[in-house]
Amino acid sequence: MNNDTVIHTSGLTKYYGKQRGMVDISLDVRRGEVFGYLGPNGAGKTTTIRTLLNLIRPTRGIATIFGMDIQRKGLEVRRHTGYLPGELKLYDNLTGAEMLRYLGHLSGGVDWAHVEALASRLDCDLLLPIRSLSHGNRQKIGLIQAFMNTPDLLILDEPTIGLDPLMQQEFYRLVSETKAQGRTVFLSSHIMPEVERVCDRVAIIREGRLVTVEDIDNLKARAIRRLEIHFAGPVSQEEFTEISGVKDVRVHDSVLTCTVVGELDALVKAASQARVVNIISHEPSLEEIFLDYYNEEESVAE
Amino acid sequence: MLSSIFLKTLRDRRRSLLFWGICFVLLAVMVVSLYPLIESYSAIQDYMELLPEEVMALFTGGIDDFTSPEGYLHSELFFLVFPLLILVFAINFGSSAVAGEEEQGTLDLLLSNPIPRWRLVLEKFTALVFSIMLLTLLFWGALAISGHAVDMGLNLSRLGAICFSAALLGVTFGAAALAVGCARGRRGLSMSAAGALVGYSYLLNAMAPLIDWLEPFQVLSPFYYYIGAVPLINGLNGTHAAVLAGLTAVFLAAAIATFWKRDLAV
Repeated sequence: MNNDTVIHTSGLTKYYGKQRGMVDISLDVRRGEVFGYLGPNGAGKTTTIRTLLNLIRPTRGIATIFGMDIQRKGLEVRRHTGYLPGELKLYDNLTGAEMLRYLGHLSGGVDWAHVEALASRLDCDLLLPIRSLSHGNRQKIGLIQAFMNTPDLLILDEPTIGLDPLMQQEFYRLVSETKAQGRTVFLSSHIMPEVERVCDRVAIIREGRLVTVEDIDNLKARAIRRLEIHFAGPVSQEEFTEISGVKDVRVHDSVLTCTVVGELDALVKAASQARVVNIISHEPSLEEIFLDYYNEEESVAE
Repeated sequence: MLSSIFLKTLRDRRRSLLFWGICFVLLAVMVVSLYPLIESYSAIQDYMELLPEEVMALFTGGIDDFTSPEGYLHSELFFLVFPLLILVFAINFGSSAVAGEEEQGTLDLLLSNPIPRWRLVLEKFTALVFSIMLLTLLFWGALAISGHAVDMGLNLSRLGAICFSAALLGVTFGAAALAVGCARGRRGLSMSAAGALVGYSYLLNAMAPLIDWLEPFQVLSPFYYYIGAVPLINGLNGTHAAVLAGLTAVFLAAAIATFWKRDLAV
């Protein structure tokens, strides 16, 4: 661990009674990176995040943020951290502005012009009572309160849930700007494309355990996709079976289906020999990514 | 009204405070305005003396002079009705304070701010004390004014002594409810635990003088320290008030200690 490590965990473990929350999570998040925490629902993402915020206490293991122990120096850690809860609950009896002012006071004062700038970027009306807001608009208020103190570290639990696509884009821009300012973002997600889109590195967690921590480029290189290519006329299967990275080739009349690992270049070039009507790409589910990962682990072991 | 947890808690309670404030003023005015009737109708004293001792003990605190202003208020208002109402308010407040927020799910956001948990508990507790004192002060004022209107000739500082004792009792049980809420994060559990404690304490204090073997245990009831020394007639009993304050401190410490290390529910 050095000065560039923002979050450091070692053997971080949480059991709820006998039920596992997370087991032996060890990872380092560096200053100025966007770190994705990817896993299916119930994998233990929220457990890790709430432990980092000192809302729950680890069964064993240690964690530091900015070099400070999360339990003994929790107050100081939270002074520099913005947090968006996964199950965001707001004060229904307040308006957005009132809620944000309240949280602003509790965090030691907030630059209100910055709050309004964030609200207008996210197209969020702060004068409406929270009880009348849709899920997406509540999520915006959650995002504003996480970003409003321009914290050195943002910990965001499933930040884009409920946001419409336009707002998701705006959120991604917000994250990029934060990174450009040298600040750090730790975000959890269960959607691979989202993580690919914004993160520099990704930790994959499954059933409470860390599967891998990888650069996003590596992950993309091994990403598998199921492709369906529709041609204008019938094509022959042989032309596609020999392409590297292309598996499970099946041709039915003029439609080709296959699985591609990594780049699409070779396949697209081969396909361009015939007239292509349509290409449909199925993003892999997380489970497929895991399967792929494990298969490769096994083949390396053999 | 949103610059601290203390003020926000009061703000959330503003309608409830208004409602209870009106209730207490009406109660004071109603009970006091009945007094001239009681005073002039001496048969009521004879009638009351016909009632079984147990009934008297249970509902009026076993006082034997109903027609004096103090005896009337002590038995009709301060022995059962007023403390019970204050306790309903206090326990509701105490159990919602932390556990209510936890059940709503807003505690995560609140405590992700640089706020130590003890400060959250302390600010909620301060809001509880402030609200109870405010309501009691209002009640005292309403009694004083309406008492003056019907020439009851009440000693205002002794009236203040019983009101203050009642507020202390409310704070004590409110703190107990707060402690259970802090320890377990369940509002319902906290309410029923504190409510049961009130029930036992009241019965213990009321029945102990009648039952020989129970009598030594009367000192275990917080109600005894509220009204056992009859503050409306004798003034504030410092020792008794200190016992309630001490008990409150114990509950508050328990609230902070149990909340300190606990996992918060999502």
